[in-house]
Amino acid sequence: MEQPPHIMVVDDDREIRDLLARFLEKHRLRVTAVRDCRDARRAWANGHYQLVVLDLMLPGEPGLDFARWLRSQSDVPIVMLTAMGEETDRIIGLELGADDYVPKPFNPRELLARIRAVLRRAGDSMGGPRHDGGSRPLRFAGWTLEPARRRLLNPDGVEVALTGGEYDLLLALAERANRVLTRDMLLDLLRGRQAGPFDRAIDVAISRLRRKLEDDGRNAQLIKTVRGGGYVLAATVEHA
Amino acid sequence: MVQAAGLAIHAMDRIDLQRLSQARNLAFRIVGLYRAVELTAPAARADVLGELRHGPGLSAELSAAPPVANLPEMPPREQRFWRINLNLVGMPPPHHWRGMQLLGGPAWHRIIVGMRLPDGEWLNVSAAIEPARPWHSPTFLAAFLLMTVVAAGLTLWAVRRLTAPVRTLAAAAEALGRDVNAPPLPEDGPLEVATAAAAFNTMAARIRRFVQDRTELLTAIGHDLRTPITRLKLRAEFIEDDEQRGKVLADLEELETMVSATLAFGRDARTGEAVSALDMAELLRTLLDEAGDARPEAASRLEYEGPAHWTVRARPLTLKRALTNLIANAVMYGGSARVRLVPPASVGAAGAMLTIEIEDDGPGIPPGELERVFEPFHRGEPSRNRETGGVGLGLPIARNIMRAHGGDVVLANRPAGGAKATATLPA
Repeated sequence: MEQPPHIMVVDDDREIRDLLARFLEKHRLRVTAVRDCRDARRAWANGHYQLVVLDLMLPGEPGLDFARWLRSQSDVPIVMLTAMGEETDRIIGLELGADDYVPKPFNPRELLARIRAVLRRAGDSMGGPRHDGGSRPLRFAGWTLEPARRRLLNPDGVEVALTGGEYDLLLALAERANRVLTRDMLLDLLRGRQAGPFDRAIDVAISRLRRKLEDDGRNAQLIKTVRGGGYVLAATVEHA
Repeated sequence: MVQAAGLAIHAMDRIDLQRLSQARNLAFRIVGLYRAVELTAPAARADVLGELRHGPGLSAELSAAPPVANLPEMPPREQRFWRINLNLVGMPPPHHWRGMQLLGGPAWHRIIVGMRLPDGEWLNVSAAIEPARPWHSPTFLAAFLLMTVVAAGLTLWAVRRLTAPVRTLAAAAEALGRDVNAPPLPEDGPLEVATAAAAFNTMAARIRRFVQDRTELLTAIGHDLRTPITRLKLRAEFIEDDEQRGKVLADLEELETMVSATLAFGRDARTGEAVSALDMAELLRTLLDEAGDARPEAASRLEYEGPAHWTVRARPLTLKRALTNLIANAVMYGGSARVRLVPPASVGAAGAMLTIEIEDDGPGIPPGELERVFEPFHRGEPSRNRETGGVGLGLPIARNIMRAHGGDVVLANRPAGGAKATATLPA
């Protein structure tokens, strides 16, 4: 059986650390939990990790400094835990090359979904060179997707609102442009976000995305439906 | 008023003066005539009288009887006035009272003075009286008009100067009500005004500190609650009973909503986020989609009406929070939300406003509550809140944000039932 991915959790609250470790282990992830950046560096040196969950509010060395150090060492995906609504931390974090962020207090299931999504994205690109930390804008067909701000700009530079799920979906499609993504894979991205009937969630989200991208649903040119259950973003994507 | 009274005083004074000078003048002439006739022998009197020049407006005749004319006897007040004048200029004593008869008066523009000569003959003098003309001098009117205009101008200027600080103060109080961080008043001008401005600024500073303290307290509590809420959420994941776990998670969700509302309220709506262009129409549709995803049973009653695209410049996340609150309110209390985006009538005109109307089909809001619901921590009727939760910050946050954008939010009841929130934003 495949070895479960190894996750490092950096959080200064012992209870949260232990509970999060137990929770993630329950969902078939291997976890090493550390208290601060010093321990994190030590653990990093002694182990091999597929992902780091990093609380930005740490005693002593700030989480952002550790993220910067980590990025200089490796391409390991980073999911940040940020203070609720503190935009600056989040944006700096994402610009430093964090792959995603979850505001605290987080919903454990949503954190799990984000971890899985990031792992899948990272695992998917294991073969080739990984793109730069996922923080730089992606451009396709005149549209710009800015991971640092989780926003989409139209060709005139006007922000077009996306729901969290729509953004994740579009990012996944844009990062793997011209490759088919299965419904199951896309469903993972929406898990934990949706209260409604789940089977239609993908179709609904895709049709909304097409509307927003002004992509005619019946004759979609940008997000194409692949027979057999998948979608593909048919466009050249540039990493700006 | 003062000018009118002054004018009246002047006119009356002038009338009096004119009458007095006229009476003096006539009295001199009448007494002169009398003296001349008195000194003449009775036989020659008629000739002398004929040769004497009476001057304009005066005629005299000799008669055996007191004067009879078609004029009534002079009213007592006038009599006194004329007698005093005649006596003053030297009418001999016997005529002071009984030997003199006076007829007419200013009302008839003529007086007749009958004077008995020592030998019993009467000298009757008839004199025309010119009516008093208070506006005789043309320069007077011009001067008066000029004075009136200048006085009015000066008064107006002085009043405006005196009331300007009061108006500034009123405007400052109004601004403080809207925004506790409004700039302070300039503490200059007359001493009283400067003192009032300083007192106002001190008061504003105290209010600001009070609000800040409260906000900081709330923010601190909100921050401190995050760790325990996170722990509880994690713990809840280990509850085996699915139903219980769901309930605990729902409670925690509610708790978190309250905490994040408190934190959002504590944050200044102005700072932090940069202004950028965003598609308002798409934002509203996305918010409705999100509301529908969260409450699938209401999804069919969420509608958008308006242009497919409309670009505004705003702080995207902050604006999104305000509109989310308004839509969530409609869904929570009305079970539906009809969002209408109304572009301004004339694009680009100064003060043009974009209007966002959010209607629901709920029970509406009691008229007395329409403004009070915007007060922080105000909850409508208690029964309504017990089941729906909420902290009473959604609307205050929305209003803070819209006002920080230069717009506003107001609530109203629709004639057809239900409530309507109207948010405005400079176009």
